Amino acid sequence: MLFRRIVLCALLVGALAGLLVSAVQHWQVIPIIAAAEVFEGSAEAPEAAEPAAAMAHDHDDAHGAAHVHEEAAWEPADGTERHVWTAIANVMTAIGFSLVLIAAITTWEHLRGRRVASARTGLVWGAAAWLCVFAAPSLGLPPEIPGTAAAALEARQTWWLIAVLCSATGLSVLAFVPGRLRWLGIALLALPYALGAPHIDGAFAAYSDEVARRMEVLTGQFAIATAISSAIEWLALGSLAGWAVARWVRPALATLGAAATARA
Amino acid sequence: MQQQATLQIARPKSALLAIAMPVVTAVLLGAVIVYGVGFSHIAAAHNAAHDTRHSNVFPCH
Repeated sequence: MLFRRIVLCALLVGALAGLLVSAVQHWQVIPIIAAAEVFEGSAEAPEAAEPAAAMAHDHDDAHGAAHVHEEAAWEPADGTERHVWTAIANVMTAIGFSLVLIAAITTWEHLRGRRVASARTGLVWGAAAWLCVFAAPSLGLPPEIPGTAAAALEARQTWWLIAVLCSATGLSVLAFVPGRLRWLGIALLALPYALGAPHIDGAFAAYSDEVARRMEVLTGQFAIATAISSAIEWLALGSLAGWAVARWVRPALATLGAAATARA
Repeated sequence: MQQQATLQIARPKSALLAIAMPVVTAVLLGAVIVYGVGFSHIAAAHNAAHDTRHSNVFPCH
């Protein structure tokens, strides 16, 4: 009952927030990616670090010989097909985020034992989630446009996960743990940066000076654009999740309490 | 009336236990979905979600 409510709410909240952020990205993030991809093709050498990214079999032998790139796997055609896939991926990601967020707000309301979930308190959850899932990892691994050379993918993914988990745990400890123990939260927040994010020098070393300069400008614009679009996404996710919990999960929580009391 | 009645019921002491299963399952399901879209190394998944990965600052390429 409770699980079904959470999943249904997450589907609704994720679909709405995912479509909203797709629209926002369409006019501010996507054009920057498209501009960067024009430069990406002008790289003088194959990018330094592109391991494991494409382990696909090369079905396309005729073209495979033409360039060394291993990316012969399916990819959406530029234009509508690509935009549709991006929107689908955005909605899927937002549904995944919603599941976690709605589960967290549900737990919060249940443990508080009173009506705390709402669209307004949801905004605070959304803002906190943006700090954990966007801001915290971005401090170590700044937003990257396509064509940027970077450290090994697995190392960055691992660090990203550490950053998000430490920030989420650290913020929760600061917010919910009473007494002096709560200052442990600060240590948790700092831990990922003490470990250090994986980095390499010369993100644009493969390009001519002129192109490298323009890639740097694009990277700056991209950081601002993604910060804004993901903030909009998380605030929408948060307020919709708070509203959905108040509207549909709260009744399920109430029957849960009644059932438990009846058994006792 | 009915709502009044349910509200007066105090939450059981084992509050966390009562919701642990559905909540933890939901979190795990969410994590699997985000992993599949944002982190999977399968090339087709990467290509389909490419712009989403860059926009969310998921490590890419």
